[in-house]
Amino acid sequence: MVITIDGIECECEYGEFLRDIATRCEIEIPALCNHGGLPGQGCCRVCIVEVEIKGWKTVVASCIYPVEQECIVYTNSDKIKRQRAMVLSLMRARAPASKEIELLCSKFGASRNERFIEQEGEKCILCGLCAKTCESIGSGAISTINRGINKDVSTPYDEPSEACLGCGACSEICPTSAIEMEEQGSLRKIWGKAFDLVSCEVCGKPYATTQELDRNAKVLGEPASRLCDVCRRKAIADVLAKTFGS
Amino acid sequence: MRRTVLVCCGTGCLASGSIEVAEALQKELAPDVIIHGVEDACFVKKTGCNGFCENGPIVRIMPDDISYYKVRAKDASAIAKSLETNEPVLRLLYRTGGKAVLSQRENPFYSPQIKIALRNIGEIDPADINDYISRGGYTALKQALGMEPQDIIAQVEASGLRGRGGAGFPTGTKWRYAAGYEPTPKYVIANGDEGDPGAFMDRSILEGDPHSVIEGMAICAIAIGSSTGFLYIRDEYSLALANIEKAIQDAEDAGFLGESIIGSSKSLKLSIVRGGGAFVCGESTALMASIEGRVGEPRAKYIRSVQRGIWDLPTVLNNVETFANIPVIIRDGAENFAKLGTEKSKGTKVFALVGKVKRTGLVEIPMGVTLRHLIFDIGGGVIDDMPFKAVQTGGPSGGVIPENMLDLPVDFDTLTEYGAMMGSGGMIVMDSTNCMVEVARYYTAFLADESCGRCTPCREGLRQMLMILTDICEGRGREGDIELLEEIGSTLVDASLCALGKSAPNPVLTTIRYFRSEYEAHIRDKVCEAGVCPELASFAVDPVKCTGCTLCELTCPVGAVSGKQKEIYTIDSKVCITCGACRQACRFDAVVAIPRRR
Ligand SMILES: Cc1cc2nc3c(=O)[nH]c(=O)nc-3n(C[C@H](O)[C@H](O)[C@H](O)COP(=O)(O)O)c2cc1C
Ligand code: SF4
Ligand code: FES
Ligand code: FES
Repeated sequence: MVITIDGIECECEYGEFLRDIATRCEIEIPALCNHGGLPGQGCCRVCIVEVEIKGWKTVVASCIYPVEQECIVYTNSDKIKRQRAMVLSLMRARAPASKEIELLCSKFGASRNERFIEQEGEKCILCGLCAKTCESIGSGAISTINRGINKDVSTPYDEPSEACLGCGACSEICPTSAIEMEEQGSLRKIWGKAFDLVSCEVCGKPYATTQELDRNAKVLGEPASRLCDVCRRKAIADVLAKTFGS
Repeated sequence: MRRTVLVCCGTGCLASGSIEVAEALQKELAPDVIIHGVEDACFVKKTGCNGFCENGPIVRIMPDDISYYKVRAKDASAIAKSLETNEPVLRLLYRTGGKAVLSQRENPFYSPQIKIALRNIGEIDPADINDYISRGGYTALKQALGMEPQDIIAQVEASGLRGRGGAGFPTGTKWRYAAGYEPTPKYVIANGDEGDPGAFMDRSILEGDPHSVIEGMAICAIAIGSSTGFLYIRDEYSLALANIEKAIQDAEDAGFLGESIIGSSKSLKLSIVRGGGAFVCGESTALMASIEGRVGEPRAKYIRSVQRGIWDLPTVLNNVETFANIPVIIRDGAENFAKLGTEKSKGTKVFALVGKVKRTGLVEIPMGVTLRHLIFDIGGGVIDDMPFKAVQTGGPSGGVIPENMLDLPVDFDTLTEYGAMMGSGGMIVMDSTNCMVEVARYYTAFLADESCGRCTPCREGLRQMLMILTDICEGRGREGDIELLEEIGSTLVDASLCALGKSAPNPVLTTIRYFRSEYEAHIRDKVCEAGVCPELASFAVDPVKCTGCTLCELTCPVGAVSGKQKEIYTIDSKVCITCGACRQACRFDAVVAIPRRR
């Protein structure tokens, strides 16, 4: 199947997500709540585009819109530019402390609207990726709570969570660096809880929390590696070199 | 003569004491059996809601067809006596234009109504399956079992029935899609979440005629090839839950549900699921997530539920009222149904007529009648004959329609075209004491709390719209606010993830469209003509209504009220802080709001 995006003809499969097709054809559509490994959240709405089918135009979220028939796509029509800018302005008022959002705003012509109330100091745009990640790891230590304008991301009752392993995956995936993870020596602090870090037996660098390693060991059914990622890869390479090498 | 005394035991009448009335009548009429024998005795039957709850408890004598209103337990003996003497109890009759009327057919609230969805409510005992059967119940199911599934669907398509839950999607088309998808099992779900605060048509049907919904669902199941169904019912609806639970059990015992329906090879297992308690849970995908045990949040509907619904399997979700129409369509024929209504909106619709209207309640009328007919003929016009200002239709995310559009026909497409919507069928009448900016603010606040809060336009857009509207109502409105509200609104309409966000700006956009000058008065002149926004209005004492009772003077925290006992009081607007305490306190409605000029 072939669809047209911004005048460019793009080859695609039935059911492929529109933004994936665009990305392959080097057409850039911004995205915040869509991350390779996870199902699209479809909630930030910065990836909106206009799709025209049989003369009918509709606005869709390209990250989760499956292409099922031939269509013409506009990623930068006047309407989309205006609405994307509005979505970004709204987001900026929500998360005025986020550098990432500020950058995106200037890139897409979204000015700071002084009429909006701003949530001072906030960085979180409530995309939900952190909670999804935590859930997919199997911890489920954080989740979105409440609804409507009171929505938030938090541990149960805002208390340090039993289930949290301190792995920091949420902090890593966050598109706006909103989840604070503090590291001092062999101590990591995240979600109001402190974790001891285990140091790599080779380079001595702290690389994971005890809880994380225990969980990995349980899942794998064998003792977890005592090496950090870099040293472990190096060790494997060394073994390979010894076995097959010169 | 054998008579049936129907006592309304819907939620409204129960609240005004209908159980006591029913018991008192039962006691009065018990000796009847001994005197006249079973054949000629009078029996008391508890029915569902008659729709005119503000005049409840309602008691109806059949076959005489005499209706009594606001009946108390102490009236039981008078009613029992009237059955002997054949003289109606005059003081309990409904009065209109100075005349007392016996039958509901002479009552202007009921006479224009045509009841299809509500056909049995008030006539039968919802707890008695034989009552339902005696009025032709379950004959459509028998007919359907003898039909090819595609013929059932063709009938529903030919009837022109469109979903009564809000969006108005053609029901037959939905069924045809679902029937066409391969994967099994398939599911049938009835939406009885009824999150619109003013609406109660679905509650009334579930309480008063539960078998009509069950029969409709069973016919749908046969048509699409499903054998599992759910009724998703709002958690607060305790009577509806109890009645539907009993009805399912009775229908199973009678062979209309369960394995091998009426001896056929078809089966249907129905279960009840209690609603998650949020407005957004009524949205189709959120509802299915909630039944699956996940958080009740919507998903994008690029792939429709008829293809991948609950547990990713083909699912038909219809509203309770939609299902209640089905047996009539199959039994009496699609053409008969399609005779009623307009070209594109067939049949009838049940409305919950409330607000500043003389007669409030549930009203079932053919699609296409005018708003004027509904509000002025059936509803009797505005309370105290105040000037009509607007009617808000379609629930929290519906829109307002102004006076000069009262002759518009009520149907799906007309209401949508004018920015309002059919929604669930809520109709709230507003008069000159309603401030349109405050109305928009009120609904926006509701939606800001009740949205799922996942997508940016809906959550953050409603947050900012609510802030701007609050500013306007409190005198902090600025030039450019109206245009900004329109711009945020149009983004919500297009860019939101689900229909809640897409329709949420309706109250704001329609009030701007039809009452822009009221916004401008708030923003530029700092005046709330309706006298609702305290910062933009002052209070005065109506000299005609004031009795000089002194209460206002005693209540005012700043001593702005002065006067002498038994004389007319006055409010000094320079001292008044418009807290509204005196207005609340006054028992004679003598404190009125007037525009505040600065
Ligand atoms: C926010 C929101 C709330 C809704 N609430 C209800 C409801 O309470 N009851 C209902 O039947 N439909 C409700 N709907 C409509 C449903 O999503 C769906 O369209 C309907 O149940 C389908 O049945 P129908 O075609 O018979 O109308 C709601 C929709 C939205 C967007
Ligand atoms: S439009 Fe509103 S209710 Fe619908 S998904 Fe977005 S935030 Fe949730
Ligand atoms: S990236 Fe598509 S909605 Fe967020
Ligand atoms: S409950 Fe009796 S009329 Fe509504």
